[in-house]
Amino acid sequence: MAASSVAASELLQHMNKHISIFYPKASCVIRRISTSSLRCCSQPQLKVKSAPQQLVGVVGLEVHAQINSNTKLFSGSSVRFSAPPNSLVSPFDATLPGTLPVLNIRCVEAAVMTALALNCTINRKSLFDRKHYFYADLPAGYQITQQRRPIAVDGLLAYSFLGGKKRNQVIKKSVSIKQIQLEQDSGKSLHDDLRSQTLIDLNRAGVGLMELVMEPDMSCGEEAAAAVGELQLILQTLGTCQGNMSEGQLRVDANVSVHEPGEPLGIRTEVKNINSIRYLARAIDYEIQRQIAVLQRGGTVQSETRAFDSKSGETVPMRDKEGLQDYRFMPEPNLPPLIVYEDNASLPTGIDACQAVVVQKIREALPELPAVKRERLVQAYGILPEHSLTLVNEEGLVEYFEAVLRATKKEPRKVIGWVTNDLVGHLKQQDMSVTQSPISPKALAELLELQETGHISSSAARRVFQEMWRSPGKTAAQIIQEQDLGLVSDTSQLHSICQKVLDAHPDVVNAIKSGNKKVLNKLMGLVQRETKGRADPVLVRRIIEEKTS
Amino acid sequence: MFCIVVKRSCRGVRVSLKSCNLLANDGYSITNVELLHRRRKHFLQSHNTNVTRLLSSRPHNSEVPEAATWEPVPEDQLPPPVHIPADLVDQLERLALVDFRTKQGLACLEKAIRFADQLHVVDTSGVEPMDSVLEDRSLNLRVDAVTEGDCAEELLQLSKHTVEEYFVAPPGNIPLPTREERAAILKHSEL
Amino acid sequence: MLSLTIREVSLALREGRISPTELCKKCLNRIKKTQHLNAYITVTEELALKQAQEAETRLLQGAPRGPLDGIPFAVKDNFCTENIKTTCASRMLKDYSPPFNATVVQKLLDQGAVLMGKVNMDEFAMGAGSTDGAFGPVRNPWSYAASYREQTGAMPDSDWVITGGSSGGSAAAVASLTSYLALGSDTGGSTRNPGALCGVVALKPTYGLLSRHGLIPLVNSMDVPGIVTRSVSDAAIVLGILEGLDIKDSTTIPAPSSLTELPEQFDVKNICVGIPKEYHAPGLSEETVAQWSRVADMFEKAGARVKQVSLPHTQYSIVCYHVLCTTEVASNMARFDGLEYGHRSEVDSSTEAMYASSRHEGFNDVVRGRILSGNYFLLKQNYEHYFLKAQQVRRLIAEDFKHVFSSGVDVLLTPTTLTDAARYSDFTQEDNRTRSTQEDVFTQPVNMAGLPAVSVPTALSRRGLPIGLQLIGPALQDRKLLSVAQWMEQSVGFPSISDYGDSSKSRNDTEKSKRERTSAL
Repeated sequence: MAASSVAASELLQHMNKHISIFYPKASCVIRRISTSSLRCCSQPQLKVKSAPQQLVGVVGLEVHAQINSNTKLFSGSSVRFSAPPNSLVSPFDATLPGTLPVLNIRCVEAAVMTALALNCTINRKSLFDRKHYFYADLPAGYQITQQRRPIAVDGLLAYSFLGGKKRNQVIKKSVSIKQIQLEQDSGKSLHDDLRSQTLIDLNRAGVGLMELVMEPDMSCGEEAAAAVGELQLILQTLGTCQGNMSEGQLRVDANVSVHEPGEPLGIRTEVKNINSIRYLARAIDYEIQRQIAVLQRGGTVQSETRAFDSKSGETVPMRDKEGLQDYRFMPEPNLPPLIVYEDNASLPTGIDACQAVVVQKIREALPELPAVKRERLVQAYGILPEHSLTLVNEEGLVEYFEAVLRATKKEPRKVIGWVTNDLVGHLKQQDMSVTQSPISPKALAELLELQETGHISSSAARRVFQEMWRSPGKTAAQIIQEQDLGLVSDTSQLHSICQKVLDAHPDVVNAIKSGNKKVLNKLMGLVQRETKGRADPVLVRRIIEEKTS
Repeated sequence: MFCIVVKRSCRGVRVSLKSCNLLANDGYSITNVELLHRRRKHFLQSHNTNVTRLLSSRPHNSEVPEAATWEPVPEDQLPPPVHIPADLVDQLERLALVDFRTKQGLACLEKAIRFADQLHVVDTSGVEPMDSVLEDRSLNLRVDAVTEGDCAEELLQLSKHTVEEYFVAPPGNIPLPTREERAAILKHSEL
Repeated sequence: MLSLTIREVSLALREGRISPTELCKKCLNRIKKTQHLNAYITVTEELALKQAQEAETRLLQGAPRGPLDGIPFAVKDNFCTENIKTTCASRMLKDYSPPFNATVVQKLLDQGAVLMGKVNMDEFAMGAGSTDGAFGPVRNPWSYAASYREQTGAMPDSDWVITGGSSGGSAAAVASLTSYLALGSDTGGSTRNPGALCGVVALKPTYGLLSRHGLIPLVNSMDVPGIVTRSVSDAAIVLGILEGLDIKDSTTIPAPSSLTELPEQFDVKNICVGIPKEYHAPGLSEETVAQWSRVADMFEKAGARVKQVSLPHTQYSIVCYHVLCTTEVASNMARFDGLEYGHRSEVDSSTEAMYASSRHEGFNDVVRGRILSGNYFLLKQNYEHYFLKAQQVRRLIAEDFKHVFSSGVDVLLTPTTLTDAARYSDFTQEDNRTRSTQEDVFTQPVNMAGLPAVSVPTALSRRGLPIGLQLIGPALQDRKLLSVAQWMEQSVGFPSISDYGDSSKSRNDTEKSKRERTSAL
């Protein structure tokens, strides 16, 4: 098992593997519009009364990311999902005696690229180790990993999320990446409880993983969720991992403890079996509150592995062999040191440049990272940072936004709200991805253009938008016509309506006359109410100004 | 032995004349064999005396040491012997999934550890551990192209127990029973 | 014909003095006659005859594949052979037939060499006597040679001597004239030790020069395929065929040169032979010392510079080897659990119980003992104290060699073993670990340092048994090492076993060996 504990594995394996084997396509939505639904620990779910000390949570993460490659880490067998059992297995993967590991260059390059994106120091020389434990889906009795000297160390992942009372404030944080190591994935166990047996499929055995160890720099589920969300985005941008948590391409274990600030860290538990970002936040917050409650009852937190039960929203202890377990690490004798080179000039003679990992080459090929993209959007379109956060975090949203801009003369600053609030709000409500939106960028642009040119008011435009969502295929112009939402700009008609409003509110009129121009807006609002928002605001203002001067 | 040598050289396995001469001049070989033949019957009883006498008949090469140049590390230079407590025996058996079987097995481990203790006589301060003689070579890498797999049938037929295209294990993650119960299981399973 | 070297028999085949099929049949017949030696675990008669037939066709067409076309060879049973049982002399793998050939086996087959069978060994190569395998001990062919019988008055059926190990079957196969070449494996001396005790040439090449793909490992960082032949020149031919980079083994290195032939006349005048003084170890027999001295004299007389040198950490090498060997064994043996292949116990109450029972039933006491020791040394609390310490000592040993070779020494001349072959009944008085530490004392330092070494039979002892001396060279200087070895071989004039009558003669032995094999299973 690639995750760190055997002991933790049973329930995890039972559930995860069961789900991914029997329902491989159960959930295809990779990222959801979910950050705002997560609650930080500043709003605890379990209220603890009269806490004498202020206990706070400390969260570290271990992330296993499956490397997106054609073949496995050490063998030439294919990496694929939902293939017939044991069809992607070489003699090495089945650990037939006498077979030896041969390292896949793609996996090394993926790890280096990921490490560069996470500001890590790349170790010029890294080493492989064997980590021993017996498990039915670990056929060698050990996993090849990088314990002593991983491929990269000392990175930093900057992430941000929307916080504050209105959850519209961009909060910037960062978490240290202790190391990134290459290691083998395990096979899959299917527990057949009826016949009291376990079926073993080794298709996944030996697939390359990057294990990323994040230091305990986070304090709550929301932060952890945002950090993993950002990591997921980076991995997907790089193409080094597909990042689908429900398919197990990205697996997250959380180390959770609580302490009083300034005091040493408390005893930690490891929470496993988390298969979405939403559950990650919930599991961590539950665990923090559970530990606080235990301590406040005068108990002690047990060092143990716990599994998150998504149905109950609780974490439960798993059978734990930690006390006994000793992984008996040992250098992998079949793999000489892995050397990566800074640039072509540092390649020793006689080495084929195609078979060497050159950091400079990979650095040059790095795509635009999400943080850079956000900054670029803020600069280019004059939008707010929180808008850029939503734009980039939602797959396809930047492209959508830019497509709308191309089709309208409306200023980006005026378009952004439509995309990040109206569109995203609707998508979220129905758990849809951007590509599933019933309103195309072009259709939205057409609507905004009608508003911009004064054919409809902004409130009418929102009604049109809702109608477009409900009736895909209908254009904005069609809806405006059908529902008679066009702007009223008949001067005489507006004159009589304005007069009616003025007559009904003589006090306001007097206020204006005595110099309080602000209350004019109140009258404008009343006129719009009369016209159901269809009155041309420019005309209305002029008429009222005339009548009150 | 001399005649044997000649015989060998006559078989023509490129034994040069030079080597024949060398051997012919090598009085030791001849004397050795002659003496051996003469003393064959007393050989087993008087092994050492014979050798001494034989050796003295011929000068020893000065570069080859005449006596052993070292002795086994004396017991008093070793750290106190390690005793393996029962819980460690149990832990090792659980970790390794092999059993000591008898008290002898345990004694064997203690002897092995005792033997290893001689390492502590060596001063290794400042010495880097050495994993492999290839530590200065860099690992060869493989291009990411599919070359293996698709041999499920071939692999599965090596296994004693399969179901459809799966390998099959008994129920997992159940710790081994206590040592006594384990012993009973293993006795039962003895071939 | 059977006692010829590869070079000679290859010539005979080309000249049509014998056909590959005839040769193959002669060898098969000889295997039957020497069954009491218990050298072979599996005899691949049918396949051998088929391969011989194919070689014959090629030879008749005048298009042999190379010097090995049609030459019978044997392979230690820890090299994978496609669809041919590969047992490692263990119950664990007694029915295991791998789906692929080891690279070195494939290379020999590609040359047209004819596989006679898989040869006996210590279980998983853990031993120095070839006495600890599931198929019973291997008997040294010299036990039946006139030299031994007459000199000692020994009764061959009760006083037979061991072959050494763990590649005892490989050495016995070549010495008893059933194969011209055998593959062994050498981790701490497993090829050179039986080579010396059985009077054959045994080469341990530089680590990484030969692929380990398909060699079921003992200690990955020290294992090398070993070459057993009747002459140094043959070993050089085989080395030339087997060496080189293998994509399937990341620890292989390119061969330094493609030269396979050794120089006809090698002048030792310009070489410097080092005599490491620590190789006079306690227990070294006077006779072996005498041979050591005698050969040193020969080098001197031929004009070579012979000088005493020091490898100060030699004494601790065997201790270091013991720790590093058991730890890798603990790790390498973890894969044998009965699930995907190998022996599977009937116990099925849990995965753990099934694994433990399969391993209990499948491994002998020696293997289990090493697994337990290795696990002990790797425990968190012992890792630094034993494992890292041993790795540090390993560096000191490797540096000892480096130092000596950089001081102008070309080769080191040492004994291969402490004594000539022990009687089986004496050898088995001590446990496997004790025996291994005695037997490997001169051979394993080379494995720690990855250097090439060759054991060359030098003389017969007073008991009429072979004594071998070892030459050690710097890394990748295998060919120069063999050149010196060939000079030494030509100078010492070691006899052929066929000069001492037919070692295939034995009374009641076939019956007995059969019994041993059955009882082992």
